Amino acid sequence: MRLATKNSVLGIGLFLPALAFFLVLLAYPLAAAILLSFNNVDTLTLSSRYVGLANYWDVFADPEFLSALVNNFIYAVGTLTLQVVIGVAIALLLHREFYFRSLARGLILFPYMLSTVVAVLVWRWLFNDLYGFLNFALLGLGVVDKPVDWLGRMPNAFVSVIFVSTWKFFPFVVIAVLARLQSIPDYLYEAAIMDGASKWALFWDVTLPQLRSVLSVVILLRVIWDFKEFDMIYLLTGGGPGHGTETLPLMLYKLAFPLSQMGKASAIGVFMLVIMLLVIVPYFRFTDVGGEERTR
Amino acid sequence: MSRGWIAIAKKTARSFGSWIVVLIISFPLFWMVVTALKPRVELLQIPPTIFPRHPTLGHFADLLLRTPFPVYFLNSTFVALGTTVVVLVVGTLGAHSLARFRYPGREWMARAVLFTYLLPHVVIVIPLYLLVAKLGIINTPFSLIFTYTAFALPFGLWLLRSFMSAIPPDLESAALVDGASRMEAFFDIILPLALPGILTTALFTFILAWNEYLYALVMVSKDLNKTLPVGVISLLTTGFDVDWSLLMAASVLMSLPLVILFGVLQKHLTRGFGTGGVKG
Repeated sequence: MRLATKNSVLGIGLFLPALAFFLVLLAYPLAAAILLSFNNVDTLTLSSRYVGLANYWDVFADPEFLSALVNNFIYAVGTLTLQVVIGVAIALLLHREFYFRSLARGLILFPYMLSTVVAVLVWRWLFNDLYGFLNFALLGLGVVDKPVDWLGRMPNAFVSVIFVSTWKFFPFVVIAVLARLQSIPDYLYEAAIMDGASKWALFWDVTLPQLRSVLSVVILLRVIWDFKEFDMIYLLTGGGPGHGTETLPLMLYKLAFPLSQMGKASAIGVFMLVIMLLVIVPYFRFTDVGGEERTR
Repeated sequence: MSRGWIAIAKKTARSFGSWIVVLIISFPLFWMVVTALKPRVELLQIPPTIFPRHPTLGHFADLLLRTPFPVYFLNSTFVALGTTVVVLVVGTLGAHSLARFRYPGREWMARAVLFTYLLPHVVIVIPLYLLVAKLGIINTPFSLIFTYTAFALPFGLWLLRSFMSAIPPDLESAALVDGASRMEAFFDIILPLALPGILTTALFTFILAWNEYLYALVMVSKDLNKTLPVGVISLLTTGFDVDWSLLMAASVLMSLPLVILFGVLQKHLTRGFGTGGVKG
């Protein structure tokens, strides 16, 4: 019996609830965001007036926008690089046999499950200038000679934001890489060892090429997620000091909610979306190939 | 014999090295727990005590009795469970449709699902805020349940579809031949076999709804309707006598449900995140 060709009315019916959520809560808001960016919205009456590209020119002319965009790139590239390097290293570590390994894996993966709020509170306490453990440890080790202001001045605040983000998000890389490492066939290593390869050569010539496809997907996903990160930066520094750590999502939020400039904020959103599409489109191409391989 | 001992010695050395790295990375988690257990005098001591000399549960008692934390906790529980139920119902039906039926626009929908999984939610926060305000459900948990459902559905549909497509169609056909209806076959055959995917989707959805901050901040401003992330942050700024021990106690308590879920279902979770993250 051919299942697939039958009952397509039932099939459509089963998908309708999901479709309703998509249309009302994703597609409509997306269209509305684009429309809003061409309008001036009065937040009291919610009436809007078409202003063409005025919001965009306003935003682009704002020096804050350029600095937020630059910050956004530095943040995303900085934390992503660290996530990938540390993630691969820790995945290799957790791949080897050792005592209580599954407990260790659980501990390493846990920050990824945590609420960003929890991660931020814990790190703000560690960063505390008077009683924080970090300053105590660094003073004790003689690395610094007076307490460091981790979040209140530049460039410390930026480094701290990148650092805490890395701590919170690198387990995603670990999970993906670890899964791939487990499926690399042993004979590849055996053959290389027969040829007299060193450990370093094994990593560069056997492991890394095998990780290439998983790393491409992980990097694409994390680029998207790091680029739009709001909670972490907003809760750690609020974009400060000054506008030092302000990125586009924070600028959007501040324009939209405290300042009620919905049109201008939407223009930033649409701009972000365009940048995202430049990343998402290759992702689609990539997973299409992966999809075919998967079904075979 | 001696070769066996060398292997054990090697593994022991490796274990030490590995655990030092693991403990350094998880030090903030450890510090959260010990801070929550320290009495106030010990908190402000220099040098800090690594293990509390006089551990106390007083901060937990304070948190539960003197702050609105229990209310936030209940709100979060309601929102997270509500979202999970809606996602599972809508998601399993939708995924079954995508996996087993053929109709115009199906492939297009599947692609739209993947696209929305990658859509940055901050971009649509303004229209969703305006929509929720217009519907009159602003400041209610339902505003959050609806939005979180929309956010978790793409991943859920994608994952459930891949699980359901992997179930051999013959099993379903056999049930149909035996006289089961299409929906009976769905409940009796597909759902039990897709259980790992369903559990993973449930966990992913619960964690998303439990942890989400931005939309909870924008949509719920009434104190007694706040969920944990926004509520706990608001403890920082309200008039309560708040110190770091109290905040760490709050962090521990709001992480506890995740620890339990994670502990119970670690295998599924790891596998699910692997599938969802790596294969889209």
